[in-house]
Amino acid sequence: MGFERKEPEQRRRLLEALTAARISTGTLWLQYFSIGGSVGEYEVEAYLQGMLSVPELERDLLAMAANELLNNQAGPHAPYADEVPSSDSNGSDAGPADSEPDLPSDEADPS
Amino acid sequence: MTKKQLPLDELSGAIGRILGLLLTEEKVDQAVQSLSQAIKESVPGTLGAGVSILDSQARRTSTGFTDSIVEQADFLQYELGQGPCLTAWASEEPVLIEDLSTDPRWPEWRTAVSSLPIKSAVSAPLIANGHSIGAIKVYAPEPSVFDAGTVTLMELFASPAATLLSHIQSSETPKRISAGLQAALYSRDLVNRACGILMERHKITQERALQQLIGNARDQSITLQEVSAELVAGIPADHN
Repeated sequence: MGFERKEPEQRRRLLEALTAARISTGTLWLQYFSIGGSVGEYEVEAYLQGMLSVPELERDLLAMAANELLNNQAGPHAPYADEVPSSDSNGSDAGPADSEPDLPSDEADPS
Repeated sequence: MTKKQLPLDELSGAIGRILGLLLTEEKVDQAVQSLSQAIKESVPGTLGAGVSILDSQARRTSTGFTDSIVEQADFLQYELGQGPCLTAWASEEPVLIEDLSTDPRWPEWRTAVSSLPIKSAVSAPLIANGHSIGAIKVYAPEPSVFDAGTVTLMELFASPAATLLSHIQSSETPKRISAGLQAALYSRDLVNRACGILMERHKITQERALQQLIGNARDQSITLQEVSAELVAGIPADHN
């Protein structure tokens, strides 16, 4: 326990996107801080290494920060929590506000 | 007023550290020391080499040298206010001394170092972003050890060294930080204000408001800052 179901997958793909675009943790954190992120730089570093769990909202902000830095360039983009399939479909109870019906589809294609 | 500055200073420190710009004096000293050693080993006939970083008043802020002779010769230059390195720094041109005993350019310094084994010298200015930030120098005990080739070699050393050293000039750091810091704080403030508007409008938590902003940004394929700016700009005047 300790990690939500979606978290490892979301984290892995964020790291993949950062690595492909050669974005450093410091750069990511500054962007994330700029858009209202509240987790410290060391914690973000620890999260990226899979040593720390952070809340879904902060994970989505990190994904958004990464995607803003990627700025539509080719390569993988960082997924949001609702884009990551739950490995276990029932009873996962991952997020309390997960059933938003007015956001049915995913983001615009980033390429 | 003083109290107000504290968080910003802390933040400057944090961001400077993150961007790798806030390097300590210790690291500068280490860098000029290593550079001195590299110069000495690369310039044939050199007895000793040194690096000086100067501020705009020609005061030394950092210094590195390989031998005590260099230390003494440099000390005398800055004490007397004359010498090849100061000339190189001030004129932004390299200086070649083929035989100090017949060179009339720095009479006091020449007399002061006459007991030291120095007859030849080359000094090249360290120029970064159009500003002279110091000089590197080599000394030799015999005349005519160095020539135009040595000058070229020293200039090859000086160019990248100046660029690198300029990044660890502590006086530069606050300027560099403030641009990035201001942009980050401005953006963060905008996002927070947008959150505040949504919280008030929909009676929701800050967390929920931020989620909604993320959703809007994704829907419209624009940045979170842009979504926030639109929201802040578009808030109706009669909003209660």
